[in-house]
Amino acid sequence: MSINKRITLQQAAEIIKDGSRLTFSGFTIWRRPMAIVYELIRQHRKNLHLIEVQGGSHSEFLIGAGCVDIWESCWIGHELYGKYGANLSRKVAEKQLIVEDYTHAEMMFRFAAAACGAAYGVTQTSLGTDLRNPEYDMLGRAGLRDGVRIPKHKYQFTEDPFFGAGPQVLIPPAKVDIAVMCVQQVGEEGTVRINGQYYSDPEVARAADITIVMAEEIVPEEYLRRNADQNNIVSFEVDHILECPFGAHPTGMFGRYDVDGPFLKDFYGRTRTQEGFDDFAREWIHGQDHMSYLEKLGWPRMLKLRANTALNYSVREKKGGK
Amino acid sequence: MTTEYATPEEYGLADLMCCAAAREVQDNEVVFAGTGLPMVAILLAQKTHAPLLKLIFEAGTLDGRPPEIPTSVGDARCEMGASRSSGLYDAFSIAQRGYVDLGFLGGAEVDEYGNVNTTCIGDYLNPELRLTGSGGNPDINSFAKRTVFIMVHEKRRFTPNVSYITSPGWRVKKWPGGEFVHRRELYGATYRGGPSAVISTAGVFRFDDVTGRIYLDTCHPGKTPEEIRDMCQFDLDISRVNGETLPPSREELRIIHEVLDPDEIFIPKVKKG
Repeated sequence: MSINKRITLQQAAEIIKDGSRLTFSGFTIWRRPMAIVYELIRQHRKNLHLIEVQGGSHSEFLIGAGCVDIWESCWIGHELYGKYGANLSRKVAEKQLIVEDYTHAEMMFRFAAAACGAAYGVTQTSLGTDLRNPEYDMLGRAGLRDGVRIPKHKYQFTEDPFFGAGPQVLIPPAKVDIAVMCVQQVGEEGTVRINGQYYSDPEVARAADITIVMAEEIVPEEYLRRNADQNNIVSFEVDHILECPFGAHPTGMFGRYDVDGPFLKDFYGRTRTQEGFDDFAREWIHGQDHMSYLEKLGWPRMLKLRANTALNYSVREKKGGK
Repeated sequence: MTTEYATPEEYGLADLMCCAAAREVQDNEVVFAGTGLPMVAILLAQKTHAPLLKLIFEAGTLDGRPPEIPTSVGDARCEMGASRSSGLYDAFSIAQRGYVDLGFLGGAEVDEYGNVNTTCIGDYLNPELRLTGSGGNPDINSFAKRTVFIMVHEKRRFTPNVSYITSPGWRVKKWPGGEFVHRRELYGATYRGGPSAVISTAGVFRFDDVTGRIYLDTCHPGKTPEEIRDMCQFDLDISRVNGETLPPSREELRIIHEVLDPDEIFIPKVKKG
């Protein structure tokens, strides 16, 4: 039997130090570890380096709160509920944030490389685009490519040495300190069962040095081990676990609750300016804990979002949150 | 059976674009879907002329048959009826391996060789506005045999020089110098094709097989070729126009509004006066 992996929400955020290279579970506005994101903002975490397969609402919260110095990814926005990352756009224009652009496939392959301990990933994507423009190596321009915390190069070109398929792009493995996951079920020993699309979660959890799993429920490990073929992440890849119902809100969780579209629309509409963000954070983040946040949202709202267990999505929430 | 086409007062621009997009799909093709109007178009094709098409959602649904339209590709609705539900590693591996015939994409700006920008407006090093970023746009455009872009048509968006080439067209930059070459020269054995059409709010555009240069194929009803040329900053080739874009059929409109998108998430209904 392993040591007790249970921690609290506050402890989860404390494990993430200023300057950590951080990544997350989920996809755009689905299964993002929002309760921990809020706690990081409450604890005034600084200088974070986000490396993500793609961004989403959680990135916009952290960036708006000034927690992030570097964002390496490919996409940010709130899908239907906000067409771009207004906080990121503002911080880039004010030169308070460095953005290093990769493509979606590259970010996925970078995590896959890190997850199998490879020295690099390789792809043929996006040849001839400005993603390959040597002038647009933003971490290089900032003098941050130390080859220790940040790879020496953004990418390297090579030729296929085996079958002569032509130019190949070598991309650095996504080495991250901590992955913060938000899933449906975790066992006492750390085994994770994800329902629905698992996005890039298995690779992300394996790539990180420390993996924290926040679950809707902690279940008996033995229950998950009865059907090991349905599990997605291995017990010993997970370092810390915590139970936090509705921990992904306002993002959605397959089979549990839908995305809170009106909440995200409100966030997107109000946080175009820093004053707007600060005002939103005062209302929903600072001075709250997870339970008071849920209380503020209220039962009627949460019940509306609750998924139908046969369909895995809510039939009460009008689709698109209109 | 003759097709009954809708009259102009029975449909909107989004209906017209959705049907034009659906008609780009051929039966049995593997099609990559992004969020929004393309999802409606692909499902429309699946329910009309292309019942055997295989739909891939970027977040990890493979050969999906959702009974109703998902709100985004991460939605729980995506995987109902799918062959496999997994993750992005599968979706992008399948694409890079060469399974994908067609991808639907969007863009903020396009140049006359089909290079598309979804990254920023203004100088990349000092951007006026950061957009969503590349997402999977350049990946699908690099890996698929054909891509179709759905765009709002404004003069500033149809430009000789996009602010940033996010997604590769037919003439792309050869680094480190950045001189323009045909994409075939760069992609080597992984060359499979490229942009095949742009469907804008004004018309449908295609690309010359040899030069890769854009030309006007059909005008949406009510627009003339000259008007559309005036809506581009580059000199649009209007010498090959094939008349008007075919309107939606009444059956297509019924499927869009009664089956696929009754809540008008992506395609508004035309108000009947």
